[in-house]
Amino acid sequence: MESAHPARGQADRLTGVFWRRPKLLTALLIAPPLLWLGVVYVGSLAALLLQSFYSIDEFSGVVVREFTLKTYAELLIPSNYDVILRTVAMAAAVTVASVVLAFPVAFFAARYARGRWKAVFYLGIMLPLWSSYLVKVYAWKLILAKEGIITWAAEGIGAGSILNAVLAIPVIGGNSLSTSYIGTFLVFVYVWLPYMILPMQAALERVPTSMLEASADLGAGGLRTLRSVILPLALPGIVAGSIFTFSLTLGDYIIPQIVGSSRFFIGQAVYSLQGTAGNIPLAAAFAVVPIVIMLVYLTIARKMGAFDAL
Amino acid sequence: MNAAVEFQSVSRHFGTVRAVDRVDLSIAEGSFFAMLGPSGSGKTTCLRLISGFEKPTAGAIRIFGEDMGDVPPNRRHVNTVFQDYALFPHMNVRDNVAYGLMVKGVDRRARHGKAEEMLALVKLDGFGDRKPAQLSGGQRQRVALARALVNEPRVLLLDEPLGALDLKLREAMQDELKTLQQRLGITFVFVTHDQGEALSMADRVAVFNEGRIAQVGTPSEVYDRPATRFVADFVGSSNVLSPDLTRAFGGPARWASLRPESIRLTDGAGARASGRVTALRYLGSGTRVALEAGGQEIAVLVPSGGAVPGVGEVAGLAWDAAALHLMEEA
Repeated sequence: MESAHPARGQADRLTGVFWRRPKLLTALLIAPPLLWLGVVYVGSLAALLLQSFYSIDEFSGVVVREFTLKTYAELLIPSNYDVILRTVAMAAAVTVASVVLAFPVAFFAARYARGRWKAVFYLGIMLPLWSSYLVKVYAWKLILAKEGIITWAAEGIGAGSILNAVLAIPVIGGNSLSTSYIGTFLVFVYVWLPYMILPMQAALERVPTSMLEASADLGAGGLRTLRSVILPLALPGIVAGSIFTFSLTLGDYIIPQIVGSSRFFIGQAVYSLQGTAGNIPLAAAFAVVPIVIMLVYLTIARKMGAFDAL
Repeated sequence: MNAAVEFQSVSRHFGTVRAVDRVDLSIAEGSFFAMLGPSGSGKTTCLRLISGFEKPTAGAIRIFGEDMGDVPPNRRHVNTVFQDYALFPHMNVRDNVAYGLMVKGVDRRARHGKAEEMLALVKLDGFGDRKPAQLSGGQRQRVALARALVNEPRVLLLDEPLGALDLKLREAMQDELKTLQQRLGITFVFVTHDQGEALSMADRVAVFNEGRIAQVGTPSEVYDRPATRFVADFVGSSNVLSPDLTRAFGGPARWASLRPESIRLTDGAGARASGRVTALRYLGSGTRVALEAGGQEIAVLVPSGGAVPGVGEVAGLAWDAAALHLMEEA
């Protein structure tokens, strides 16, 4: 008698094995990324953390491989502490500005753009991400320079005095936009804005229109609906976007080096400490700072209920 | 009695699609008004025109005599129970219900007290602290109802509110909605595609077809005396007879409606026509017998316990002369 099932090849047999033991397939699929994450990624983070607990011998410049908190204490001396403060302030400012700028764009894209307009939106947001980061930053240096288009345009429309007044503001002002914190801030916002718009738009898209209608139906005007319904529901997207803008600003060392004053940000401190100075422990301690800040930030966000709607 | 809602030749076009086309409508204050029709017939658009989420392309809408031409949704004294309930997922049930009062600026204590009152009204006392996600479909429906009633609207709009509930729950909610409407005495405007729901709950029914109202009347008027072929077929799946068949069945040469439950099967005595059985469908409470008569399919409802012929057999058809309802429109 002929079997009801056709003869089975090797591939069929393998399918059978996986069918009987579905966990085996899951394990096989998850193993490579898990190894990558576990060994390469978390492993190097652990190594970094370990380095930060070593110290450097002040006379010989050799790393002393003994557990100490001395290196962390060094972060608190004014010149290092200023670097941290400056970086966190910049990251916070960039994040707030990104939220404010991204919201109308994301809202339009999520609620009104359809078909062709949606494509235009995605292209417009993504296009800057396709070109080299360095090219964009150098382009901005030219735009913001004293001989650049902004100064030229401001003088052309008779707003040169306004520009000078802005540059005269202590601390954030400077000789020109390209050598001031304002310039650094503008470039940061430009470069990271797409990372805020996209998650925000995704979050807003998940808010059903009927939710907004229900709010209006119950008597709420636009602002009340924005505050009580749209923003709370978009919060997970805003937090996701702010994780990008905040942590990318915390870690970047190229933008402040090209555009801005010569004062260090965390990234630059790490760069110079591990290079010419050869102070790996302090560089590692500096690198731990953004990680801690992000952990604190996410804890606060969770406490505020930012992920409740997920 | 005053009209709660009035449509004067109202149209709403989306491009070339006439979702609502020159509709005249008057909904009496304190009535339970059903808008019945298949999907895409314009009933939901009409509801959204009342709530203000759609603007008429032409015509005028008045609520209690006041023209709504430039009144946005948040300034209208109507509230809506949405089809998907649209509860705010980030607020607990109490805050959802109290939302309308919060918007008005009522202080926390007062609005929470009122919200509890509303929750008691829909039999959800003690559910205030839960999130909408922790409720069943029926409970969410009640929260949506309480939330819409908290502002004491003069007209309550319900957009297929029972569509997502299972049969038992739906029937229970139908009774509750009806009781609630009678108790509160406010005007309910109810959109549904379920003719049974419309007939059992409403004081008046408007049957929609292709953006226009095919007929408005009491449930029994709409059921017993359908104005058009569409109404006869949509409300209770009547047998719609062509003028030729009506004549063959002993009437004038006009379109007519003959309800399946008004026809009796006989073995010859008193038969006005005869047909050959083509299919049987058992419904529990009876059997629907499809027969071929005069070149058309005629459905007959044989109540449970009655004699059901087999497929292929010939049976006589009998009915009271009054059961044959003639329709004005072709």
